Amino acid sequence: MTDLALDATGLERYARHVIMDEVGPEGQKRLLDGHVVVVGAGGLGSPVVQYLAAAGVGRIGIIDDDRVERSNLQRQVIHGEGDLGRPKVESAAERVADLNPDIRVDAHETRLTAETAPDLLAGADVVVDASDNFATRYLCNDFCALEGIPLSHGAIYRFEGQATTFENDGEGPCYRCLFPDAPEPGTVPNCATTGVLGVLPGTVGTIQATEAVKYLLGVGDLLDGRLLTYDAMGLSFETVEIARNPACPVCGEDPEIESIRDVSYEGRCTVPAD
Amino acid sequence: MHVEWKLFADLAEHADDRTVAVEVASGATVGEALEELLSDRPALADRVRTDGGLAGDVSVLKNGADLGGDLDDELESGDELALLPPVSGG
Repeated sequence: MTDLALDATGLERYARHVIMDEVGPEGQKRLLDGHVVVVGAGGLGSPVVQYLAAAGVGRIGIIDDDRVERSNLQRQVIHGEGDLGRPKVESAAERVADLNPDIRVDAHETRLTAETAPDLLAGADVVVDASDNFATRYLCNDFCALEGIPLSHGAIYRFEGQATTFENDGEGPCYRCLFPDAPEPGTVPNCATTGVLGVLPGTVGTIQATEAVKYLLGVGDLLDGRLLTYDAMGLSFETVEIARNPACPVCGEDPEIESIRDVSYEGRCTVPAD
Repeated sequence: MHVEWKLFADLAEHADDRTVAVEVASGATVGEALEELLSDRPALADRVRTDGGLAGDVSVLKNGADLGGDLDDELESGDELALLPPVSGG
């Protein structure tokens, strides 16, 4: 949509946005002109994709190479019983079409790799990392940090979640400022082995969608330089300040990583020794 | 003096507690308080210690701010320390 004026259906659909001064017709147009790429259509991606679509984010890329399994349905609420065995991007795209026909969906049934990242992520206004493994997370971080693309990060573990936003505007930190290397493989178990509270990614993913929408609107304070931690057991949130780290291997003063091609996204996601 | 460590995610499981209080001398550094914590919780020490010191995936926080790996920072009474690991689930 390029015309500022919404048609009657659009005005009705987005009435509760348009009526707010912080959004208005101009803000709604920014959302409709927005392009967000969501990496992962699982627990986090489910609320992210649905809320972005409902909000009217005009173009949504969805990247996932998995198919829907019954054990996903306890938390991955964009998929249903009838989607078992289907590619996740397919059922996610169908849900978006049902929620909001205004949205263009780019469904990529593939894995994000150093080879595919430039094609899949370039041109996005915001990338949302809703993936489930460190290799993809470090790749998203490195690509977005190097290309200056804002990145919403969310991750979950059993009853705990983390969320932050890296604006990648040359001032704030990136994920490697806080965690320079990925953990040794096998150190931090995944959802399949530890389990995860089903509603947890709903909370964390909704925060990520909030950040993406705020960024597109240009309103509010993003979690840039702040990591929000959420403990569902104690129902408590805490904020950790993250500063840009001069020794950061991506955005530091003498970065070791100048291209995602420099990095081996296996194991600890480091630059291989010569 | 008393300082309290707060532990997140799998680190809390390795320590078998989300908070651990340690006793250190006045003017002690973050690194000294970390040694106290790790000597009290050997399973946590196994998780976060590497040959070169602290594993690169563990962030040390003081009063809610990342120290960027500076363990020489001096502590004052009442300071809150935390060990934060990355998590990957989605």
